[in-house]
Amino acid sequence: VDPDGDVADGVERRLDPRQISHQQRVGWVTAAFGSGISFIVAFGFWASSGFSLIGLAAAGGAWIGLSGLLAWRAQAWPEIAYRHASYKVDAQGIEIRRGVFWRTITSIPRSRVQHTDVSQGPLQRTHELGTLVVYTAGTDHARVDLPGLAHARALRIREHLLPKGEADAI
Amino acid sequence: MLFSFGRSLKAFAVPGLIGLVIAVRRPGPNADAWMMLLLIPAAVAAVVRYLSFRLRYEAEELVIRSGIVFRNERHIPYARIQNLDAVQNVFHRLLRVIEVRVQTGAGAEPEATISVLPASALDEMRRRVFARDAAPQAAPRVDGRVLLQMPLGELLLHGFLVNRGMVVIGAIYGILWQLGISDRVFEPLADDAVAENGTVRAAVDSIIRGGSVSASEMAVAVGAIVLFLLVVRIASMCWAVVRLYGFRLTEIGEDLRIEYGLFTRFTATVPLRRIQAVTISEGPLYRLLDRVSVRVETAGGRTGQEGAASVREWLAPLVRRERLEPLMADIIRGENTQFRWLPVHPGAFRRIVKRRLFIAVLVTAAAAFAIGWAGLVVGVAAIPWSVLAANRYASHLGWTAHGGLVAFKSGWLWRSTTIARVSRIQAVSLRESPFDRRAAMARVRVDTAGAHERSHRIDIPYLGRDDAADLQLRLAARAADTQFHW
Repeated sequence: VDPDGDVADGVERRLDPRQISHQQRVGWVTAAFGSGISFIVAFGFWASSGFSLIGLAAAGGAWIGLSGLLAWRAQAWPEIAYRHASYKVDAQGIEIRRGVFWRTITSIPRSRVQHTDVSQGPLQRTHELGTLVVYTAGTDHARVDLPGLAHARALRIREHLLPKGEADAI
Repeated sequence: MLFSFGRSLKAFAVPGLIGLVIAVRRPGPNADAWMMLLLIPAAVAAVVRYLSFRLRYEAEELVIRSGIVFRNERHIPYARIQNLDAVQNVFHRLLRVIEVRVQTGAGAEPEATISVLPASALDEMRRRVFARDAAPQAAPRVDGRVLLQMPLGELLLHGFLVNRGMVVIGAIYGILWQLGISDRVFEPLADDAVAENGTVRAAVDSIIRGGSVSASEMAVAVGAIVLFLLVVRIASMCWAVVRLYGFRLTEIGEDLRIEYGLFTRFTATVPLRRIQAVTISEGPLYRLLDRVSVRVETAGGRTGQEGAASVREWLAPLVRRERLEPLMADIIRGENTQFRWLPVHPGAFRRIVKRRLFIAVLVTAAAAFAIGWAGLVVGVAAIPWSVLAANRYASHLGWTAHGGLVAFKSGWLWRSTTIARVSRIQAVSLRESPFDRRAAMARVRVDTAGAHERSHRIDIPYLGRDDAADLQLRLAARAADTQFHW
């Protein structure tokens, strides 16, 4: 991506590749947390079965299964999600695609943007990533998030989307 | 000063009455009566609020100041005001004052509620607030043209059709219970019908057990149910008359004015340009009587206020079908509302019928599991019904995006049509579920401001993938070309 080029190029662009490792990090934190909680639950279940062998097998199996799922979600899922997310900014507005199984393409005309936010969490900051949030007057899409942009780029898209001195409503 | 007195009296009277009722109801140490002491600060606060209230019309904005200790000054630009609603309950009408609710696009609550205003001041306020809208004020505001008036017969019919009776009965029951009358009124009824040895219960029991039911038992049970349904409908008709008495829709220049109410009068002013979407709905009985009902959605201030919320958006609770066309022409000006509907993808029926059959089979299985082989009878009815319903549903789906409008209709027995101007579109989204992708279909959803969670939306399912992408592109591009005006 040319850092100085026009953001409104009308080209469908992927998110910043650092989004993958960022999401993996978030995923691993979640996985550790979920795994820990479920370990306590599983242990409690085993204890309530009187530390029986069947109880150990059931609780242990469920815990290993769940932890494996969380680990897969943390490691592999961000890459899959990344492949299915993209955005396009042009003179008319912004179009956001996402979703692996249930896919959504959302178009927001520039003239409908009420205001915008660019936010950055602590983990995002280490990767210089940012989330662009676009607000409209709509109902379902009153707030549309686009996470995983390079922070500088998010700021420039915001600059582009903000209404520029056009005669205000009415 | 008189208004302030009336206002404080009112603020005091309602909770006071409730307190009294509760106090009287409970025997023993009369602690609740002491609670009324707590109401005195509230009454004082009401007086203070009134005395400190100042309203000012600036060139561009409305300025409202209130408070003595904590001062608050609120500026509301005229351009942002969506609606001015007026409410007059019985007390207001006795004192010839009104309550005005100022609503802007933001948030669920009215931006400002001006509680007591001389009735004549509303016209003044309307003129100032909406004057800027009708920029070249060519013609002076004439007295307006009545678009719709509902005589008593139509109101009764409306009450019968919408069937809000349960709400009314619930409310009455609540009041009776509070007053402690319920036991005397309901006990004999309840004993007969519902209690352990009641007739209805016995009949239902014996049907479930597969036993025989005597003809007289059956007749009593059916009669009780019919009577109950009738009472509910009559209650609903009373509700409609009280709520919507004297319903009148008037067109005044670029605004619509909606007035209704028997005891509490509501007056809502909806500028035409602020209508976000129009929904026309009809049930089977509506079609039999050749009527439809029309609602409009405007942005802002519809949730959270009791009652008024859903009714305020009635444009025409009930209107004859032949009157619909002229009404639409008045509301959606400059557009052709004689739509040429486009069908959805021909594969839609197969997908709908699959899902419905799946549900029908599940229900049949559950019935068979619960009451044995006899339960399979459910399937005999449910399976052909789901095929028929799926077929009808698919063939009644339709959409159009023509000129400056986009519209969508759906439903077979209960049909709804929603129409929005392209200039009111906020966002357009295209969604594909895994099932959609397998059938190369997609759905297109048009997001407008002020839509209700449960209201009928422009959400067109079962479009061919390419048609959907094309529609999304077109709508987004056309929306981008127009400027959105609040």
